[in-house]
Amino acid sequence: MSSIKMSFKDGMLNYPEELKEAFLESGGLKLMDGTYVSAEEIWDFMTKEAPRRFPFLYTVVPHAVFFYRIYHYVEFLWPIKYRYLLLSLHDRIVKARAKGTPLVFAQGGQTLEPYYVAKAIAIRPFLVQLFANCSVDGLSFKDLSLRELRNIEEGKRELSPDVCNIIGAHNLIKRGATPVDLVAPYALVRCSDMCYVVESHRSSARNTPIFLVDFPTNARPDQEWPVEYVAKSIRGLVKKVVEVGGKAPSDEDWKATIRLFNRGRQAARNFVWTWWGARRIPTYGDDLLGITRMANDMTADPVAVVQILEEANKELKERVDKNIKGIEIAEKPVRLFACGTCFYPPTERIEKAGGAIVGYDDWWGRILVDVEEEGDPYVNLAKASLRFSYEQSTEERAHWTAGQAKKCGARGMINQYNWGCSLQAASARMVNEIVKKEIGIPSLDLEMESLGRPELLEQYINRVESFIEMLS
Amino acid sequence: MMKQTTLSNLARFKEAVQARPAELAKARKSGAKVVGYFCSYVPEEIIHSLGLIPVRLCRGGDERLVELGARYASTKSCVFIRESVGLFADGKDPWVNNTDVVAVATTCRQIYRLAELIKYFFKMPTVVLTVPHNFYLPEGKDYFQRELVNFTSELEAMAGKKLDKDALAESVKLYESIRRALREIYEFQARDSAPLSWKDVFYVIHAGFYLDRQHYLSLLIGLLEELKESSRTNVSISRDKRPRVLLSGSILAPGDSMLIDMIEEMGGRIVADDLCTGLRPLSQIELKDYSLAGIAAAYRERVPCASIPYLLSPKTDRRLANLAHLVEAYNAEGVVYHSLRFCDPFSFKAGETKNFLQDKVAFLEIHTEYAPSAIGPLRTRIEAFIELIGNLRSGKE
Repeated sequence: MSSIKMSFKDGMLNYPEELKEAFLESGGLKLMDGTYVSAEEIWDFMTKEAPRRFPFLYTVVPHAVFFYRIYHYVEFLWPIKYRYLLLSLHDRIVKARAKGTPLVFAQGGQTLEPYYVAKAIAIRPFLVQLFANCSVDGLSFKDLSLRELRNIEEGKRELSPDVCNIIGAHNLIKRGATPVDLVAPYALVRCSDMCYVVESHRSSARNTPIFLVDFPTNARPDQEWPVEYVAKSIRGLVKKVVEVGGKAPSDEDWKATIRLFNRGRQAARNFVWTWWGARRIPTYGDDLLGITRMANDMTADPVAVVQILEEANKELKERVDKNIKGIEIAEKPVRLFACGTCFYPPTERIEKAGGAIVGYDDWWGRILVDVEEEGDPYVNLAKASLRFSYEQSTEERAHWTAGQAKKCGARGMINQYNWGCSLQAASARMVNEIVKKEIGIPSLDLEMESLGRPELLEQYINRVESFIEMLS
Repeated sequence: MMKQTTLSNLARFKEAVQARPAELAKARKSGAKVVGYFCSYVPEEIIHSLGLIPVRLCRGGDERLVELGARYASTKSCVFIRESVGLFADGKDPWVNNTDVVAVATTCRQIYRLAELIKYFFKMPTVVLTVPHNFYLPEGKDYFQRELVNFTSELEAMAGKKLDKDALAESVKLYESIRRALREIYEFQARDSAPLSWKDVFYVIHAGFYLDRQHYLSLLIGLLEELKESSRTNVSISRDKRPRVLLSGSILAPGDSMLIDMIEEMGGRIVADDLCTGLRPLSQIELKDYSLAGIAAAYRERVPCASIPYLLSPKTDRRLANLAHLVEAYNAEGVVYHSLRFCDPFSFKAGETKNFLQDKVAFLEIHTEYAPSAIGPLRTRIEAFIELIGNLRSGKE
């Protein structure tokens, strides 16, 4: 499919009628609850209902920073389905909970199989926020930003001004704005705040049940006891999910779930490798990010997500075979690798400045690791999780990052972290130095005050644009 | 009022600390190895019993070192971590300069990052002991035990010998004696009139980070004898009426005396603390057997640090229970809860701690960053707090 311009009316973008036929031909989505949403239903939702309920996504706002924004051109059909999953998340979760499916908070950087195998829905901080945002109809982008800022502020006032912006998601849970039944993330090595933020729920009025899958620092591949420890922790997690309304999984449930997630990871890997191998950058950086995000957080429906990922591969392959370039990407953009957790670079502005984000270390690092399907699933999940790049020592992670940046042909790296993210901020210089030594590319260190706060975007863009200019 | 300070013994502590770097240098020339360590969860007994020399690396309050360290870490790292990195970057600290390997216990993840930074940027060998976050679960207990075995084997490789059961027993007994002596000093300080300033108390405790442990014990015994003698001979003492304050919160490292000075300057009197550089590592630590398993259990069961999350009810949280107990046992009239900038566990738990204690004692939360510019605002708040405690006491009387 070649690029099709979005329609634009009254300040709002929308999917053009000329796209409809192709979209209907692409078929609908099978959901994990066994129901089927037809392409017609998705199209109607995305062109009629969603613009009315969620105008923040459809309004043209030049400084908006959220990666699932709609662009001026449609280059693939699969992002429409992905955005459908995002915008229908609230309704789907409400429906699932009404049938007794528990909602469990997980965090970025971890596997989600243990939640889904126990018939729960796992949501990460971003999806916690999205649920809350979509629970109110008619929000403009400004409304959305103000709500998010107020929420983060409230969370910080209760806990500490030093806390990472992850507090926004936790504050929504504490307020009951997102009806989480269990807060149970992995206490990954990448994050220092998470443990204490989870702990803070015990003193909140709502007192949501909490659990931590503990993670060892400094685990070596030849050591058995860290694997045993994490495996036992994951076992405890599944037990806890069952206690809040999940279902104890059988061996077959485990195999099927792990297989499904591996399928998703493989599809995402194939997409990224195809993208990297293209002679011209085939699409927006947000589409690349979208693929890696989907394969990680599963958008509350791994069955639908895996289908979208597999469809995305077919679409991409066709585009790459025909040597079609992303319409708003420069002919020879400055290729940048994005390093760091919990952030989305404003790719639209980067692309306008002649750059292109060609890789992300965070979500990508997890997609590269499959979980073994045979044997003890808890041990297999533990082994896989301990192999994630962010769970290695910073030196090892940096060597890996250099390798990936080289593979995707990056000429520069953006190393980014959020306010309050002490662990990632402290590793930045080391990672940058090692990457420079190994593959000779410079890095730009950037700290984001908040997850996508628009008023700080200009400062960010100034730096990135200068960096792109320097590299070009 | 009891005579202030037992100068002769305190002077001995100071002389010993001043002479210690040269002693360490000499010992290292003869082949001894110094293990500099961060965090009170590193079991010194094991280091000591292997014939290695333990030195607790711990420094705070120096803005220059904080800035220096931030160049390698980040301005968003805990200020103690920044200064710690700064110590290595500066290259002038005698304890760092006499360290052969750095051991860290990762109660706090930022300390793990510290280990990585000093290994990478300053080529300092490191040994890491992972401290699990789920100490209250069976798997957490098992995991810590296994980690300790691994940690010990790395130290054995350094020492060139295996851990000897008898040597370990001797070391454990030595450390038990040290802790007992230090607890006794706290009991003296909690009396109606305290013989030492709190700065001196901390100096005595912190001297134990550096000195040969046997020598240190002998100095402590000497000090205690002098305190007891002084107490016997100065029978008619007037009661120290200053408001009684308990210190809690983040690490107060040697060199970071701003808060202590301020409390005493504003008319308060510190009577106890639950700091990791003070009373907390000395409390409720009981080795039931002199083995690695015994050490693992004892370190696990003692009063926990806030950096180990506890997901059950605050009512069963032993850290909070200990704090409440200390308030009562030491007759504290106010708690000054201090957190360092970007010290996540302590700053995040300030509100909960305050709520837990609110019916028991006046509570002041202070957040600092080793910055001289904080002195003015800090003085105002401490002064007001001391005045408040005084007024509350008058109200009760």
